[in-house]
Amino acid sequence: MNESTDDCKINSRVCGEIQNPIPNKHFAVINPSKMCQPMGAVQALLGVRGAMPLIHGSQGCSTYMRFQLCRHFREPVNVSSTSMSEGTVVYGGEANLLKALETIWKEYKVEIIGVTSSCLAETVGDDMGLIIRKFRKKHPDEELPSIVPISTPSYSGSHVDGYDKAIKSLIENLAYSTKPNGKINLITGNISPADIREVKEILELLDIESIILTDSSESLDAPHTDSVSFLPSEGTTVDEIKDTANSKATVSLSRHADSGAKFLEKRFDIKSVSGFLPVGLQSMDGFISSLCRLNECEVPVKLEKERGRLIDAMVDSHTYNYGRKVAIYGDPDVVAALARFTSELGMIPSIVCTGAKSNRFIDDMKIVAEESCSSPVVLEGCDLYDLHQQIKENPVDLLIGNSYGARIAKKENIPLLRMGFPIYDRLGAQRMPIVGYKAGIGLVDMLANTILENYYDESGHEIGSE
Amino acid sequence: MQNAFKSSKNFEKSDNSKKITNSSNQPNKSSAEASTDKIIIDQVSESIIKTLESRLDHMCIKKSDDERGPRCNTASVPGIVTQRSCVYGGARVVLMPITDAIHLVHGPIGCASCTWDIRGSRTSGDDLYKTGFSTNLEEKDIVFGGEKKLFNTIIELNSLYQPSAVFVYSTCVVGLIGDDLKAVCRESEKITKCRVIPVQSEGFRSFNKSLGHQLACDAMLDHLIGTGKLDDKLKSEIDAHPTLNIVGEFNVAGDLWAIKPLIEKMGIKVLSVLTGDSCVEDIAKAHYADLNIVQCQKSSNYLARQMEKKYKIPYLKVNFFGIGDTAKSLKIISEFFQDPEIMEKAGEIIKTEIETVRSKISHYKKRLTGKRVAVYVGGNKAWSLIRAFEELGMNVIMTGTQNGLPEDYERIMETVSEGTLVVDDANSMELSRLFQKYQPDLVISGAKEKYMTHKLGIPFCDFNHDRITSFAGFKGFINFAKELDRAVSSPVWKFTPKKYQGIQNE
Repeated sequence: MNESTDDCKINSRVCGEIQNPIPNKHFAVINPSKMCQPMGAVQALLGVRGAMPLIHGSQGCSTYMRFQLCRHFREPVNVSSTSMSEGTVVYGGEANLLKALETIWKEYKVEIIGVTSSCLAETVGDDMGLIIRKFRKKHPDEELPSIVPISTPSYSGSHVDGYDKAIKSLIENLAYSTKPNGKINLITGNISPADIREVKEILELLDIESIILTDSSESLDAPHTDSVSFLPSEGTTVDEIKDTANSKATVSLSRHADSGAKFLEKRFDIKSVSGFLPVGLQSMDGFISSLCRLNECEVPVKLEKERGRLIDAMVDSHTYNYGRKVAIYGDPDVVAALARFTSELGMIPSIVCTGAKSNRFIDDMKIVAEESCSSPVVLEGCDLYDLHQQIKENPVDLLIGNSYGARIAKKENIPLLRMGFPIYDRLGAQRMPIVGYKAGIGLVDMLANTILENYYDESGHEIGSE
Repeated sequence: MQNAFKSSKNFEKSDNSKKITNSSNQPNKSSAEASTDKIIIDQVSESIIKTLESRLDHMCIKKSDDERGPRCNTASVPGIVTQRSCVYGGARVVLMPITDAIHLVHGPIGCASCTWDIRGSRTSGDDLYKTGFSTNLEEKDIVFGGEKKLFNTIIELNSLYQPSAVFVYSTCVVGLIGDDLKAVCRESEKITKCRVIPVQSEGFRSFNKSLGHQLACDAMLDHLIGTGKLDDKLKSEIDAHPTLNIVGEFNVAGDLWAIKPLIEKMGIKVLSVLTGDSCVEDIAKAHYADLNIVQCQKSSNYLARQMEKKYKIPYLKVNFFGIGDTAKSLKIISEFFQDPEIMEKAGEIIKTEIETVRSKISHYKKRLTGKRVAVYVGGNKAWSLIRAFEELGMNVIMTGTQNGLPEDYERIMETVSEGTLVVDDANSMELSRLFQKYQPDLVISGAKEKYMTHKLGIPFCDFNHDRITSFAGFKGFINFAKELDRAVSSPVWKFTPKKYQGIQNE
């Protein structure tokens, strides 16, 4: 265990207060810990059945994003491009966008096209809504797919905002009120297909009918069938998105993806609830109690037992986990939730880092700090260079985050537990859940086993103990 | 294949640099001819696969009496899921292997965050090139310009890292807001005393990333090559040995490390490599070499041609993929120097290495012989792998590239055997139709195509720039055979639904 875990050092910080260190650089981003808005929007669209994401920009945007998505999910991913080039940039992208819509409609048999902008399209000043209306006017008597414009300039925000904007645009453009459906809308945020599957199972256990926004559990983790589909053949349907205006409530698992929920609340008076991503005990308890309040249901025995097993697993491993310092980086919801969970285990999430700028992340981390009486270093809007500098100053026992942290882990000689996006140097990212009690059990064991593997010898003795 | 090894003296070809940028609306020679006998082309194309009309003549089948290639170097149809990338991507793949430089992407965060540390180039020294640097342009920078931020970023990075050089890549939006990249680079170079090199690689500048390759070569030609001084150490080296540069070798998965020792064993000094496992200072003195040998002719012919013009350095086209081509390459290099000792050494190396390789691959060859291969790649591999497959008893039934220029397809058409399908800029839907129709036993391509191929139940081998196994030279050929064997001989393919059902019905 790192020397600095001595009690005196922990107590030198004010318990329950987060620390915001001043970075030693002001301009450069070094080893980014965020991606651009269109990437988030594309990920949201991949959970919609029959959807083709179309990036209005140059070809590299769609190609490099596909590359990242393919190697993480290990699934074929299709994202089309308006293929802007020099000539089209000068005259604006209207002709390219019109042609692209026509091509996608005719070639790919889509149900919906999500048009996301890029830095290029936004700077040129294309009015995507207007161009889409023109396209509709050109085909007055034909049955066109739904077309949703999503404004995601790459020079503002991050993929976290892009995801949120895509969900909001889908709802804004499609949802309309008819008659109550008794369902609960569930905005998952950008979590793995396995997590979405877990969420669906939990809802089923609670006997809650729902609309998942958006459901990539099949499209990004598809069984082998000797065939390939170009568009998500399963996922949230356009009709379901239309129907979100008739639901009882919207639950957002991600505080960063709740703009759609807020829109529904304002426009259609649909209650919006959000909380920590349900990872670990307390966050999952919060999620279940929200659901039970909204749907007036009892917690089923099966879920109670899963919860009990999670606590049992936490007890089994508590001595190994206690006092271990962890650094966690990635998307703000995932990082905050993992910080909360590792705190529950007695670990100390001493450094947390997210590339996105987010006050909500800071608020979440304040809650974690207060609950666990700790004083984590909170890096918000930062990069992996900043993270590494902090780790050098305040060593940790374990690193949790995506594959990009592998070099920090190697240089600092600490284990890296791969979670988040992208994970390209290990298998199974799309299959690994962290949401729910059941996934929590797996997570506890994985954490404790990583500690055992690295800090205990083959006979089970703690390395370096007296 | 003799044609593939023409020395530069015999190789008369016009400079294609201008063609790349301006040819979007000009069909190449072969397609212009094609339009005069449209019926034949249509018949052939219809028999290939169903696709957009405008795409039909981008596919053709090699016939013995007709060496015309497919139509190529045209813009992709908007809305299609293209396999192509952007000009920035093209520039980056050429320069990024320079190990001791900072590769700073001037643009919004996405351009850097989707592309940092994705090239499989390996290093024997500095690993600075693996770090992702961005100016992270934000809304206010778009409105007020990004020059100041760029300047400050360069100064800051220089003080943090003291790099040998900073390459500054321009992205789409920088081209639109009109930042004067060159001026900022000049200004910051004065202050930092570090080489700060602008690369005008705005993503949208061409539909063909080959322009990016060329811009990257220009950056080296204008700012780096020729700036190295002839010190005593270098002078004594040059005097003692014949020298060459390996151009267009990016040390993907360590390929260079299988090539360089072969050349050194012949008694030839490798002065610099452009750009695999290279240092800035090595590239700066590349103009002192006696010869350039070009491995990736897709990205780097231009560089070799320009160096020939500027420094009178002749060049040879080589290919270190496959036993025969590696041997031939060593032979023509040794013949170039007209030194009996070198030629003798080359002969020895070739003889012993071929024997070793043959004995080591025989085991794999048994399982690979007769397999049918489809190749779809970004560069010279569309033709340079064909003989290698033949040496393993495999047949290439389809080959193609995303960014081929007319000269690339010329090379492809003269290399492939009759009946081979040649495709240009095939999009993901076309590829899946092609694979479903022609049922290859193995597909060679990159990460974007990998999982689509796997889903169809077809084995796959990654031969892209992010691959993890070295395939070059004699040693690499053993890895290559082993890797292909791993892909095609695995029992997992027996359990894919169709085949499994077949087994159970028997």
